[in-house]
Amino acid sequence: MRGTLNDQSLIYLQIARMLEDDILRGVYREEEQVPSTNELARGYNINPATAAKGINLLVADGILYKRRGIGMFVSKGAGDTVKQKRKASFYDGYVKPLVKEGTSLALTGEEITAMIQQAIGEENET
Amino acid sequence: MNAGILKAEGLCKSYKDKEVLHNLDLTIEPGKIYGLIGRNGAGKTTLLGILTAQNTKNSGSVTYNGQPVWENQRALNDICFSRELQATLFSGPNNLKVKHYLKSAAIYYPNWDMDYALRLLDEFKLETKKKISQLSKGQMSMVTILIALASRAPITILDEPAAGLDVVMRERFYQLLLEDFAQTNRTFIVSTHIIEEAASVFERVIILDEGRILENTDTEELIGQFRYVSGRDDVVDQVCNGLQVLSTHQMGRHKTVAVRGDMAKLEAAREADVDIAPMNLQNVFVSLCGHGDAQ
Repeated sequence: MRGTLNDQSLIYLQIARMLEDDILRGVYREEEQVPSTNELARGYNINPATAAKGINLLVADGILYKRRGIGMFVSKGAGDTVKQKRKASFYDGYVKPLVKEGTSLALTGEEITAMIQQAIGEENET
Repeated sequence: MNAGILKAEGLCKSYKDKEVLHNLDLTIEPGKIYGLIGRNGAGKTTLLGILTAQNTKNSGSVTYNGQPVWENQRALNDICFSRELQATLFSGPNNLKVKHYLKSAAIYYPNWDMDYALRLLDEFKLETKKKISQLSKGQMSMVTILIALASRAPITILDEPAAGLDVVMRERFYQLLLEDFAQTNRTFIVSTHIIEEAASVFERVIILDEGRILENTDTEELIGQFRYVSGRDDVVDQVCNGLQVLSTHQMGRHKTVAVRGDMAKLEAAREADVDIAPMNLQNVFVSLCGHGDAQ
């Protein structure tokens, strides 16, 4: 688990987000154990109840599951679930603010689309 | 070691003619870390003193598991209130030594853990032969922290433990607190003025303002109810219609307001041409208790 907390959003959401990032990066693979509530609490100096709230969010989304008496594990297909979840918020979280900012700069739809095409091209080269 | 419920009902307290706590209700549930924040003179230490039967009240009740705490040895065995130490005692220097405090704590607290106390003594590099009046402010805080943690009391209360500690030591203190909490799940109440670095440690936060409890709420839930909204003044006013506006700051036509409201309304405000920024606990506290003093 990497990353640091900032004060931009609620801590339990940041904990959930960091675990998701690590699942996408392959830090935690399917059926592997993730840090316990107490480990997270110690690692980030946060209340265990807050860490538990972050983990429970991922349990509710089917990304983590609990093995009784052992700990929390990454569900089968968790990577795809995270991707689906993030795709669902991609439009609101990235596309709309992009268009809003572009419009306030008087960029036309064609110009914005051209820039997106260009960025896609550059992304594919790397 | 299961803590019970500590409950204050209808608490009133006056010093001479001045009422400092006004008909105050508070419930402390077991197994949680509470943060108590309030401005200077809000009544924090008075409240903590009354909750632990170290101070008298004018009316109302304080109970632990349904039994009054006043002169109730069984309840008080479960409660540790580690007060701030003073360099003076009875208008002379506090000549008691660190070891005297440890000795009386060992007698007073039935769950006292001497091994733990010695470990902390070593870590804090405190000399037991030193007089309290010879300690720095930070070292006095370390003594109160040591006594609080080693008391192993099911309900442990620390008043301003961070006062005088350097930033490394403050971080270490919260680490120790969380480590002990993970092991014992005892109840802690911690008062502090250094709010932001403690916010992530508190499961619940109690905000005391001018002798009244403004909030006793899950910390993240509380923070989530607040936002800053800024932009052109007329657009900001339109967006904030129906939300509780706590403070306003205007520079020319640019206006920033602190608002409180339900999530749905705040999310809807994102559609408008304004910037919406989250708050941290310190911002929330200033919005609620600033009373326009801060500019």
